[in-house]
Amino acid sequence: MNLLPFVASGIGLGAIYALSSVGLVILYRASGTLNFAFGAFGGVSAFLAWQLKHEGVPLAISWAAGIAVATGIAYCYGRVFAPRLAHRDRVVRAIATLGLALVLFGGMAWYWGVGVARRLELPTDLSAVTLFGVRLTGTRLVALGVALVMAGGVGLLLSYTRIGLGMRALASDRHISAAIGVRVTQIDTIAWTLNGLFAGIAGILLGNINRLDPGALTFLVIPAIAAAIFARLSSLPGAFIGGMVAGQIEALLIAFPDLANFRSAGPYVAALLFLMIVGAGHGVGARE
Amino acid sequence: MREIANAGVIPMTGPVEPEISPTLRAAAIVVVVGVVSGIIALTSGGYWLSNFTQAYCMTLAVLGCALLYGQLGLVSLCQWALVGVGAWVSLRVYHYIHPPFFVTILSGGIGATVIGVIWGLPALRMRGLYLALVTLMLAGAFQVLVAVISFPVGGPGFLGQVGASGNDRINMARPIFASSDTSYFLFVALITLLCIFLVEIHRRSKPGRAWALIRKNEQMAAAAGIRIVFYKAWAFALSGFIAGVGGALLAGLFGQLDQTAFPTTTSIVIFIGMLLGGFEVWLGAFLGGILTRFVPALLIDLNVNTNAGFMIFGAALLFALRDPLGLGGQLTLLAERLYLKFQGKRAS
Repeated sequence: MNLLPFVASGIGLGAIYALSSVGLVILYRASGTLNFAFGAFGGVSAFLAWQLKHEGVPLAISWAAGIAVATGIAYCYGRVFAPRLAHRDRVVRAIATLGLALVLFGGMAWYWGVGVARRLELPTDLSAVTLFGVRLTGTRLVALGVALVMAGGVGLLLSYTRIGLGMRALASDRHISAAIGVRVTQIDTIAWTLNGLFAGIAGILLGNINRLDPGALTFLVIPAIAAAIFARLSSLPGAFIGGMVAGQIEALLIAFPDLANFRSAGPYVAALLFLMIVGAGHGVGARE
Repeated sequence: MREIANAGVIPMTGPVEPEISPTLRAAAIVVVVGVVSGIIALTSGGYWLSNFTQAYCMTLAVLGCALLYGQLGLVSLCQWALVGVGAWVSLRVYHYIHPPFFVTILSGGIGATVIGVIWGLPALRMRGLYLALVTLMLAGAFQVLVAVISFPVGGPGFLGQVGASGNDRINMARPIFASSDTSYFLFVALITLLCIFLVEIHRRSKPGRAWALIRKNEQMAAAAGIRIVFYKAWAFALSGFIAGVGGALLAGLFGQLDQTAFPTTTSIVIFIGMLLGGFEVWLGAFLGGILTRFVPALLIDLNVNTNAGFMIFGAALLFALRDPLGLGGQLTLLAERLYLKFQGKRAS
């Protein structure tokens, strides 16, 4: 069987998962919080962009507004709620973001409704290239480009800037970092803001490639977490590759008719097998 | 001296021994569940009775969730999926052999026990955040699985599906002695009571002590000769069993189940319900479980969009995390204080 067409079709979704997974890992490394509300941030961004477009707002402004609001919510949570839970263990901090995810999910489902067939249309949908006999819309290639650029940018940020140094210090040891003068709350807030930015962009792309649905967007976070697990929640290149792999798993399962319907569970099952066989390892927070 | 010994357990107010006998605690469980269930059975019917029956099934899910979190500190975000497993197995067994209802319930419980232990296997190697992630992914995977295979409705083959028309779907029958809505509700209440006792007995006997030590320090527990893997697996088995029983009862309530009935969000809401109710005491699970169904039911009754329920639970979670006692814990503490005060007065 020629699987190459399926590989090509998985690029777009893989890029979104990679973007999400990198966004999750940046925050987790720096602040120790796994953000379950990542998908919900993306959902808010995508729905807002869609709504503004329907109100006649120019496209670029509608996307920018969506991404800005998602980033703003992330900033506010990182500034207001996250510091209050900073002394609790990692599970509690992660569970708290589930609360935020539910609030946003409920709000989106209330206002925009569930199960309505909708897609966020982007101008890049009109252009297309053919790869391995599959017609790929420009959006999918844009997704890949954006994911590469953003992941690369964050890599540079971590390696060459003062903020990046602070983030790496926090990932190693929060208490010692605080003791030697790293501004913990400031770094945490920057990490939250970056997380919101990644979520906002990933949400708009997923709203186009998949569909615009509160549940589908909110639960983007689960395959993204699965992808991040391949990187043991600590390595950025690993998170990127994990995301691409998760997208490929979903796309390749379509090739097998018996399994095609189960494809969206593919990344979870792969991540579960990874954890059972390879284990959680010694990544950030593995000892807690 | 006694005050130091009791610090942090029950704040003492009078010169009395802090004695609340196990018999009295057991009696309190029977009285509270009995009175609440009695009031519900007498006052509600139709819509509300059905919702309270569902609420009791959710109580069972919360009970298992609280067992894992309260005793071992393990976060399970797949409890509602385990209810789904119990429901699936019980429907499957029912349509194969039409056994007595108790056998159907047991089959649901055993099915979810097996799956609960298998799901718990990763937990034997990991804890904390990773367990929460694993269970959330399992809940997600179950949602995908059940959306494809659906629930058996008496058709041929292992999956038990019927044609697209759906006219020849067969309902699971309720027990003869509990065929009416009210009697079925009371039956569910009785099973819930039994499950609460099952957990309480575990908490107050050898497994409970083992869990307490494991939670305190695993190395210490191992040094003390406690079989850690065995007791952790036991906790998963017990919480799976109770959830599975809840699933079978839910299947009995509706007769057949829809593949959309077990979304991941409900598993999350169950966890939140547990935090709101409180995970240290049985009353927490009981109240938390009722709350998880009561809030959406009330919203439907008031013609408010049910999605508002998610917002309420989400916001409540952010506050519940700051109060580890929960509603049930607060009430229990209050009741204990009042009781001890009363005893103190009588003694003097």
